[in-house]
Amino acid sequence: MFRIIKKSLKTGIVTGRHPAAGPTTQPVSPEAIEKAKPFRKSLTIREVDTGSCNACEMEMNALANSVYDVERFGIHVAASPRHADALVVTGPVTVNMARPLRDVYKATPGPKVVIALGDCAITCGMFAGSYAVTGPVDRHIPVDLRIPGCPPRPAEILNAINELRQDKPTRCEP
Amino acid sequence: MPRAMTPVERVTEAFGAAIAEVSAVQGTPMLRVEKEHVPVVAHYVHTHPELRGTLSLLWAMDHRPREARSELYYLFTLRERREWLLLRTELRGEDRLFRSITPHIHAAKWYEREIRDLFGLIPQGHPDLRRLVRHEHWPKGTHPLKKEFSWNTVLQRQQGEYRFRHIEGEGVFEVPVGPIHAGIIEPGHFRFSVAGEPIMQLELRHFWKHRGVEKLFEQQNLATAVPLAERVSGDTTIGHSLAYCQAVEALLGLEVPRRARYLRSLFLELERLHNHLGDVGAICNDTAYVLAHAHCGRMKERIMQLSDRLTGSRFLRGANQVGGVAVDLTGAQLAEVVTELDAIEPDFSELERILFANASLTDRLETTGVLKERTAWDHAVMGVVGKATGIDRDLRRDRPFAAYDELQVKVSVYRYGDVRARMRVRMDEIHESMRLIRDVRERIPQGPITAEPSGVPVAGDSRCEILRSCSGPRFSGRYWGTSSRTSR
Repeated sequence: MFRIIKKSLKTGIVTGRHPAAGPTTQPVSPEAIEKAKPFRKSLTIREVDTGSCNACEMEMNALANSVYDVERFGIHVAASPRHADALVVTGPVTVNMARPLRDVYKATPGPKVVIALGDCAITCGMFAGSYAVTGPVDRHIPVDLRIPGCPPRPAEILNAINELRQDKPTRCEP
Repeated sequence: MPRAMTPVERVTEAFGAAIAEVSAVQGTPMLRVEKEHVPVVAHYVHTHPELRGTLSLLWAMDHRPREARSELYYLFTLRERREWLLLRTELRGEDRLFRSITPHIHAAKWYEREIRDLFGLIPQGHPDLRRLVRHEHWPKGTHPLKKEFSWNTVLQRQQGEYRFRHIEGEGVFEVPVGPIHAGIIEPGHFRFSVAGEPIMQLELRHFWKHRGVEKLFEQQNLATAVPLAERVSGDTTIGHSLAYCQAVEALLGLEVPRRARYLRSLFLELERLHNHLGDVGAICNDTAYVLAHAHCGRMKERIMQLSDRLTGSRFLRGANQVGGVAVDLTGAQLAEVVTELDAIEPDFSELERILFANASLTDRLETTGVLKERTAWDHAVMGVVGKATGIDRDLRRDRPFAAYDELQVKVSVYRYGDVRARMRVRMDEIHESMRLIRDVRERIPQGPITAEPSGVPVAGDSRCEILRSCSGPRFSGRYWGTSSRTSR
């Protein structure tokens, strides 16, 4: 027990020890901010992988580590879409995942927001056109927030989600 | 004393007439076997006490439209000297039938189902011919890796049903899980038939994320496909891109400069570090020891940030290129890597001591999920899981690539095959990777980091074939390349 406490004391607080992210490249639309209004204090996310290479998943997992610690912003990850406020979708939507994606959207109670995470989810990236890929996420379900990158860094994901949940939009679409 | 027979001599002596041709692919002996003899020859290679080959890979190739034939390749790794042996067979003309080796060699099961789905070749005698890659809604007759199938075909949907196997009886329940299931994790469908606690049967349904990567590779040219290889699997960016680059370099006859080879080893070990740190944490998290998960997550994050500082990508993307590496590290950067590791290593060792002093944790790891060596052997298990089961194989040592011919890799092997053994292998490899990286820093020579591509295959005829392998933290990858002057 002493050893564990000593280790924790020695380690200290690591939260926030990461390089700052650059400004978000994709502006957040006022409609999306309006839609995310109920989730300003607490946001529960269900992550859906529709064919990503898992790098985006690793960065989503990294958000939960003690360096980024998303729980301090009231963001949680739920095990079921029925408990979720937001769906985070990664990867180009494959032929085999198209139906499960629509099902999961239906199973998520409203109001809900959909976040497309990573280049593949937004444009299909390198997999565009393949026989096994049906198209980006917004071909199947409406998308509210797009976070580009291959994969986006955890700090960038955090920035974008925080921008979505702010009181006033800092930037508007032209 | 008579000279010991080579594996090739043994097989040719036993099956004289069945072996149509003996050749070699870059040092790996290759035997062409008539298709009806494949199961017996494969069985012989698999079971003969002097050979004891495990099936490492089984793949097919469609030679149309150039030649009207398909080929199947069976790659065996022999037990004693860890040599490779390649069997090859041909299906001429419109012949679509080949004989399954699955009844004798379990490891071939999914390979043959996949070949059936992707090439439309049918393994006769296979015990389970349900669709694997092509889910039930794919139209009949869709075989994407056949050459006449266009890469950007838009698939129609059809009605269909996947037949799960059911176990019936008193108190037997079926628990379906997935494809979208708990955690931030990729999709998969699992169907457990349970009677109380014991699981009586598990039916897996995968390939939800099939993106057609193999077909996409065919559309690229040799030098530009590296980013695609990096995206085959996100956590094994270097592993895949390195295996791919080595295959292309062998095709083009490129000599990779020594400095580049050292840097490749360094990047590969960094990748291994972040994967293993993440995995050790995940094992602890799944056994409800969240404290260790938090510590491992913190250390893993340090490695990811270090990678970001070195190459501009937390996953080391863009570090490899055909002919060498795209990122050179200065002396100061190498020193920074070592300083970072010097800080992480004692930190991690402390954590190890805390872990193994915790009886409630070790109790959950020991004797849990035991994989017997025999089962592992039958299924040709490799990597961390294999090493935890007593299978002493590591491509870095057995078939050195990058700079591993000059760096001595110590392979840790455990026999118990439980979760604890698998965790121990990972922990040992974390220390070993750190040692290797320090070694790289000591020995790395000065010089260029990339060879200039000449653009012409070395082989005299218009076609050449190569096989290159690389062992990453989660996989041991092999890329088979064939190129001809007319094709890309």
